[in-house]
Amino acid sequence: MFGPLPIQAFLLLAALLFCIGVWGLINSRNAVRVLMSIELMLNAVNINLMTFSSYLDGDLIRGQVFAVFVITVAAAEAAVGLAILLSLYRNRVTVDMERFNLLRW
Amino acid sequence: MPLLGVIFLSTQAMTAPGELLNLALNAGAVAPEGAVLLAMLATLLVDLAGERVAARWVPPICYLGLGVALVLLALQWNAPLEPSFLGAFLADNLAIAFRAIVALSTLLSLLISWRYAEQSGTPVGEYAAILLAATLGAMLLCGSTDLVSVFVSLETLSVASYLLSGYMKGDARSSEAALKYLLIGSAAAAVFLYGASLLYGLSGSTSLETIGIALLTSPTPLAALALVFVLATVAFKIAAVPFHQWTPDVYEGSPTPVVAFLSVGSKAAGFALALRLLVGCFGAFDTQWKLLFTVLAVLSMTLGNVVALAQTSMKRMLAYSSIGQAGFVMIGLVCGTKDGFAAMVLYMAAYLFMNLGAFACIILFSIRTGSDRIADYAGLYQKDPLITLGLSLCLLSLGGIPPMLGFFGKIYLFFAGWADQQYLLVVVGLVTSVISIYYYISVIKMMVVKEPQEASEIVKDYPPIQWKTLGMPPLRIALVGCVLFTAVGGILSNPLFQWANSAVAGTPLLLEAIATGSERALG
Repeated sequence: MFGPLPIQAFLLLAALLFCIGVWGLINSRNAVRVLMSIELMLNAVNINLMTFSSYLDGDLIRGQVFAVFVITVAAAEAAVGLAILLSLYRNRVTVDMERFNLLRW
Repeated sequence: MPLLGVIFLSTQAMTAPGELLNLALNAGAVAPEGAVLLAMLATLLVDLAGERVAARWVPPICYLGLGVALVLLALQWNAPLEPSFLGAFLADNLAIAFRAIVALSTLLSLLISWRYAEQSGTPVGEYAAILLAATLGAMLLCGSTDLVSVFVSLETLSVASYLLSGYMKGDARSSEAALKYLLIGSAAAAVFLYGASLLYGLSGSTSLETIGIALLTSPTPLAALALVFVLATVAFKIAAVPFHQWTPDVYEGSPTPVVAFLSVGSKAAGFALALRLLVGCFGAFDTQWKLLFTVLAVLSMTLGNVVALAQTSMKRMLAYSSIGQAGFVMIGLVCGTKDGFAAMVLYMAAYLFMNLGAFACIILFSIRTGSDRIADYAGLYQKDPLITLGLSLCLLSLGGIPPMLGFFGKIYLFFAGWADQQYLLVVVGLVTSVISIYYYISVIKMMVVKEPQEASEIVKDYPPIQWKTLGMPPLRIALVGCVLFTAVGGILSNPLFQWANSAVAGTPLLLEAIATGSERALG
């Protein structure tokens, strides 16, 4: 109906998503929400990689392979992040970033 | 179409798997990493058999794995270069030198950590396995020549480091350090990835060499943006100001042996990554990244050394001092001459011994007294001459007092900087070195000059010295070894110079950069 979308549309979407992720990273007080913001940033990267892969890379699908690696590593990182958060919650009974102040920033 | 050729070759070789290993993948280049990986798996298996079996068998397995890795690395030295895994990994001399530094720092960190782990009641098996995983990531990172392999090895190192810094599960400070490290680290990784995806889009390839050529032919503003993103991550990894905020917190909260590894192994891998990315891939933006790194180096040297003056905790002081030390190493990176690169390698090797020696002393003190405060070291020389002597020698070396090893490393860096007309960097380096000598000496003064009645309460009830308990002999070996090497290494500095120079001479990537740099200087 609309014809093929230009590559800029996807890149803009990825850039927006990345910026939302950065915004959430800076502004969230809840540590779980910070982890979610990082996931958003990683997914923005995945959109970028997929876009470049299908528009520019032709037969080779290096971008798609890269995206698979990013997804895998992001899963590992999220698992470790939640585990660390859990152990911190057991010690401090809070997930509020403002109250993690035993160490001075 | 070299890639298609390789794929064709590998499909042909399907019938003979051994041939595939030799021809297309050239997997022999990662044999040292294989040894580390096997040691890690063996550690995990032994750990299943229970705590006591693990405590008995894990140390020898780790020594064996890392020892074999070091021997294999030595065998690779100056070997003919062939890219392995279809161009994802290259075992040039630069990679070998940095991988050896990483493996050695893990070995020494493990030697000093058994007693610490025993005393804090944490399982050794898992600890060793995670530390070996971090080593594996760091070693692979030193030789990665493809964005995908850079990313995967970087994250292997990072995720394992997060786990290590949160290893004291019952300690809120350790968990907090781990969470801060994780959040900042994964944000940095995401920023790096965004830069990497832009680079992929600009060049249509993930190989650093191809990207470098593509950027050389068409340097665009978008590529400059990618440079900034990638540089931020490199600066995070080597803890350059203003990307250093995590360092003091993580160093203070994490278990001390982990800090020893992070301050040397992780940093060495970061510098190897910096060389690969900036020198190998961003040759087109030479002036830009050198300017940025000059700013980072000046800030790191100044802030690191000045803030270290005000610290009361030994670990926090060493954290800031390590930021300053990273600033010194960056002088070599900015030079981009043969001497500059060789000085980087040499200083990292010297830093390995002097910093781990200092950490061994701090760990020994905290095992005996449970304290990390600088004030608690007052009057220590009467109760524990070994710690006093070892810590003094290592700190003097970190400050760059002749005839210690650190002096030669530092003088070589400054010489390389002066020869390349980086006057600002060298002058800032000299001034901040003097500042750093002040706070290193004040620790030594605290230990040596105080009268017995002025000694701190902790030193007054110092426990009797004994080396019989489990894990103490390896700690003593590491401490004495590091201190000896730091003290007499200055005399042996000639072979080290040669080693560092041949590390640069055996690396085509660096030679190319040196050649283009001198051409530019002439033209």
